[in-house]
Amino acid sequence: MQYIAPLAKLIEHFRALPGIGTKTAVRLAYHVLDMDVKDARALAAAIVEAREKIGYCSICCDLSDENPCRICGAEARDHSMICVVEQPQDVAAMERMRDYHGVYHVLHGALSPLEGIGPENLRIKELLNRLRDGTVREIIMATNPNVEGEATAMYIARLLKPLGIRVTRIAHGLPVGGDLEYADEVTLSKAMENRVEL
Amino acid sequence: MKVASVELVNYRNYASLSLRLAADINIFLGCNAQGKTNILEAVYYAALGRSHRTQAENELIRWNQNKGSLRLNFTRMDVENRLEFYFDREKRRQILYNGKNIRTRELVGAFNVVLFSPEDLFLIKGAPAGRRHFLDNEISQASPSYYHDLAVYTRLVTQRNTLLKRIREHRSPASMLENWDPQLAVAAAKVVEKRLAAVSKLNMLANLMQRRLSANEENLSLVYELHGFPDKIMTDTLVSWYNKRLKESVEIDIMRGATGAGPHRDDLVFLVNDINLRSFGSQGQQRTSVLALKLAELEFLRSETGEYPVLLLDDVMSELDQRRRQALLAFIRREHIQTLITATDEAYFPADFLGNCYRVDHGQITMG
Repeated sequence: MQYIAPLAKLIEHFRALPGIGTKTAVRLAYHVLDMDVKDARALAAAIVEAREKIGYCSICCDLSDENPCRICGAEARDHSMICVVEQPQDVAAMERMRDYHGVYHVLHGALSPLEGIGPENLRIKELLNRLRDGTVREIIMATNPNVEGEATAMYIARLLKPLGIRVTRIAHGLPVGGDLEYADEVTLSKAMENRVEL
Repeated sequence: MKVASVELVNYRNYASLSLRLAADINIFLGCNAQGKTNILEAVYYAALGRSHRTQAENELIRWNQNKGSLRLNFTRMDVENRLEFYFDREKRRQILYNGKNIRTRELVGAFNVVLFSPEDLFLIKGAPAGRRHFLDNEISQASPSYYHDLAVYTRLVTQRNTLLKRIREHRSPASMLENWDPQLAVAAAKVVEKRLAAVSKLNMLANLMQRRLSANEENLSLVYELHGFPDKIMTDTLVSWYNKRLKESVEIDIMRGATGAGPHRDDLVFLVNDINLRSFGSQGQQRTSVLALKLAELEFLRSETGEYPVLLLDDVMSELDQRRRQALLAFIRREHIQTLITATDEAYFPADFLGNCYRVDHGQITMG
């Protein structure tokens, strides 16, 4: 079936979004047509506003509507400690913890030859720039605990070790507050591997 | 472990089927292409999350239908459990274990089977990949963390091979390998350690079975062969050995664009009275050894999980001679192993062979 031109255009735009196939795109588009004009305008304005106002922090490469971002600009935070993560979402997760007072660096991905992602595609140059003035003493690698995340952590560790900066890796193992008996075998065997001396 | 019932909806050639199974022997009789193997395939699928016949999930859905399902009620240590699989041509398969959504890696090990089909007769003569696959299936069923270790290893090899090709094309410096190789060595060692442990158990069990089947005349041994490791004496730990191997072969690996060393190249060797079965074994010896291996699998899974798995015999009655057939049936009966057997002819079974007998005809099943 041929859709009316403006509708077809809207469907195509939805379909270009990640995780949305033709069916969902059509459903979303019809939903938009059902909305009040006022709500449709608000939605469109929200999209434009988010896109225009949010950019990357020139220091940590996280998403921000200020430059530098609130975390990089905060005097109270410990600027000698950088926690390196893959995605902006990871910063939000870390911040929910409220226990970490250092700053962040967002790589925007992890090494993956399969997807053609090498060091030049990650924000690694930006990380190295931050180390020049000598304030940074520790880099905490908080990339994901999968093969790509490990390779990325390894790469950055190898890069930074000669500079005399301490590079650490976050631990993986049992979730806190859970019961041992409910942990899956893979997590348990990881926890055994990373056991610590008492 | 016993299957209580199997329910199929739009699965292969079954529009709708609800089948109660006997706790001992279930024989499916019928001509070719009536749907006997489809029942066994469904039970196998419930254990491993994939079919032994196809990689394409869509083939499992009945022709002209968009959705299908497979449900299985089974007992584990006498406790009732339920596995449900929902197939949809347009969506990802969904798995429910006792009503809860799970992923494939949580499925493997929940319910165990051993399948013996005519393809297994090529296990000894065939390519090494078949033997690795056999080992991986066995160990995964007994140890869920092995399934994970193997997936990690496979992912690492794929990443490294892509990187090797990029290095060959001068699109990446060779030093990038150092980010992957230490991980790869650790992952390879984990896989190999578990395979070695499993082979040493299987070796003992299979030899016991072979001696029983050959009236104590033949000794069977299974030897795990590390690819590119001729002297068989390990002075290093596996991890440092793999680290060395990866370094040594780096130039060849780059040239080939593929990783030469590792468990993805290893093999399992069968020796009868110290003679390599693959090159020198007779057809009969090979069949005896495959049968011994299958019986050893049953014992292996029992020792790992505490009870016998469900045995699926797909069309193998016609492949075994009368002596081996009787040895197999006697073993099943003595150990009370729940068995699903497909055959074209009831003449393969002794008259006193107890159990349910079903007639399969064009996707319809009747008690016979």
